[in-house]
Amino acid sequence: MTAETPSVFRRFALLALILLLAAAAILAVLTSSRDPAALLNIFTTRFLGIFLEAAPFLLLGALASGLIDAFIRPDDIARLTPRNPALATVAGAFMGFIFPVCECGVVPVVRRLYTKGLPISVGVTFLLAAPVINPVVLVSTYVAYGFGPVLIGRFVITIIVAVIIGLIFAIAARPRDVLRPATLEMLPQLLVAGGSPEATEADIIPVYEHAPRKPLGAGLRDALGTATNDFFDMGRYLIIGSMLAAAMQTFVPQEALTALGSGPVTSVLVMQVLAFLLSVCSTVDAFLSLAFVNTFTPGSIMAFLTFGPMVDIKSMLMFAGVFKPRVVAYLIILPFLLTLLIGIWINLNVSL
Amino acid sequence: MVAAAKPIHDHEHDHEHDHARERRMAWAKTAILIGLGLYFAYNIISGNLSNYINLRFGWLSYVAAALFFLLGGFSAYTLLRSRGEHAHDHEHGDHLHSAPSWGMIAVVAAPLVLGTLVPSRPLGAEAVGGIALNAAASQVSTGSVTMFTINPENRNVLDWLRVFNQTDDYGTLNNQPVDIIGFVYREPDFGADQFMTARFTISCCVADANAIGLPVVWADTASLPQGEWVHVRGTMQEGEFRGEPTALVHANSVEIIEAPQNPYLYP
Repeated sequence: MTAETPSVFRRFALLALILLLAAAAILAVLTSSRDPAALLNIFTTRFLGIFLEAAPFLLLGALASGLIDAFIRPDDIARLTPRNPALATVAGAFMGFIFPVCECGVVPVVRRLYTKGLPISVGVTFLLAAPVINPVVLVSTYVAYGFGPVLIGRFVITIIVAVIIGLIFAIAARPRDVLRPATLEMLPQLLVAGGSPEATEADIIPVYEHAPRKPLGAGLRDALGTATNDFFDMGRYLIIGSMLAAAMQTFVPQEALTALGSGPVTSVLVMQVLAFLLSVCSTVDAFLSLAFVNTFTPGSIMAFLTFGPMVDIKSMLMFAGVFKPRVVAYLIILPFLLTLLIGIWINLNVSL
Repeated sequence: MVAAAKPIHDHEHDHEHDHARERRMAWAKTAILIGLGLYFAYNIISGNLSNYINLRFGWLSYVAAALFFLLGGFSAYTLLRSRGEHAHDHEHGDHLHSAPSWGMIAVVAAPLVLGTLVPSRPLGAEAVGGIALNAAASQVSTGSVTMFTINPENRNVLDWLRVFNQTDDYGTLNNQPVDIIGFVYREPDFGADQFMTARFTISCCVADANAIGLPVVWADTASLPQGEWVHVRGTMQEGEFRGEPTALVHANSVEIIEAPQNPYLYP
């Protein structure tokens, strides 16, 4: 895994966003007739509103991810996977309920699962679905939108998209076409040659999965340490994302936002690009999307809530560490197109 | 993984330097965690929380405060215990972390800084981007017929708009008593004796805030400062507002009041 490239890219993307934000804010304050102090106050209230509502979920997500990291071994996941490939692919969509990970945590887990002989398609479905299909996101989406079309739609669409893409991989892909050589080397040889996973189960060379379980105390200490790092890691995306959302609400005239957000196709594209760039963790992106519900189409909100957790700058860079470049492209383009189509379809056919 | 992938230095000096820097960062993180815990606790105790989120979910802030104290306390404990030793933040499984940096720490400190320096105020007249004279426009479910069962004088601004939504003939509302609070909102195209008694509705947090308002007729409107909270008493009368048929409050009294503890309405 290349440690340098992602951080350089990320730093660049973050810097660009901050500069954009600052420029927009300064421009807005200069051109607006309203009192700058009042504008700053409104911006702060909106920003802190999102942060105060989202922080508990970010913490819970970080803690869950820390506990998984400390106590769950890939064996546990591999053991629970059904043998039938199609069934396993569908099951992959729901594994997040047992192993709640957001998009930052899912890639390393999937990579380790592959070394345990998990079928490629199951890993792909898990990769795309887990950031949404888990209890933390269920509760945060409920808090943001209540029980209704947004909550149900988000879960159903995510499952459909993840299973479709998983099945495409089940039919079309072999490990050697999909994984980067570095990951491939860690696979059991029979599997690479196309043997069935069952045949290799016993032959797998233990890498580190068979390490003994950590004792409770040490595990908890590690979990808290990981949670702290996770909170800072994900917190900055949340904070920059909610600043941008609050700034748009405060400084951009409502008519301009409505103009951008009312086209059935353009609004979906705008929200997808925004989801990709902001890279806000899936546990809290529902709160961010609230800033757009008054001005953007329902389909675009749904695309934001389904595409964002599957693909963003952060996860794209992590995909690149596991999959071949061509596969990374598929993993971006397929969810993009599917959520785009579904978003447009919602805008044209459903009135929420 | 990245966090631990520190370059191996040949010079012991560099290593010491890195180590000291790492500890400074760890202390900064600890301070931010505890600071955020205090900030959440302060919001809960002072009641400022209601400026930001729907109090229905206020319990989440207790969870957040507790978790911030837990993480911050643990982090401080670890740092104090490892004083003098080279206790490196060791590899945590396969978790991918980007290397900590001062930039990242500064970003996470932003809510703490803004929350402390900018006085906490609810959204008011300045934040009204567009105002709805119609409850449907504000993501509000209008399905409940029960609105009519609320006594007119007990209806708030939101209840009244829901009644409007269910009414075909505004004449049926004539002479119903009105007793509402809200903040004064005026735009240049309002009649000289007209203002709106406005409220923000929020479902989850202020990010989804919507401005709604009831038009009021009051001879002394010019004396009311924009954004000031008022208590309006009067009667509903069919009429026109901004060229649209609606019902307006004909006020008998408009009294300037303190902002309520809970500034928003929850649909």
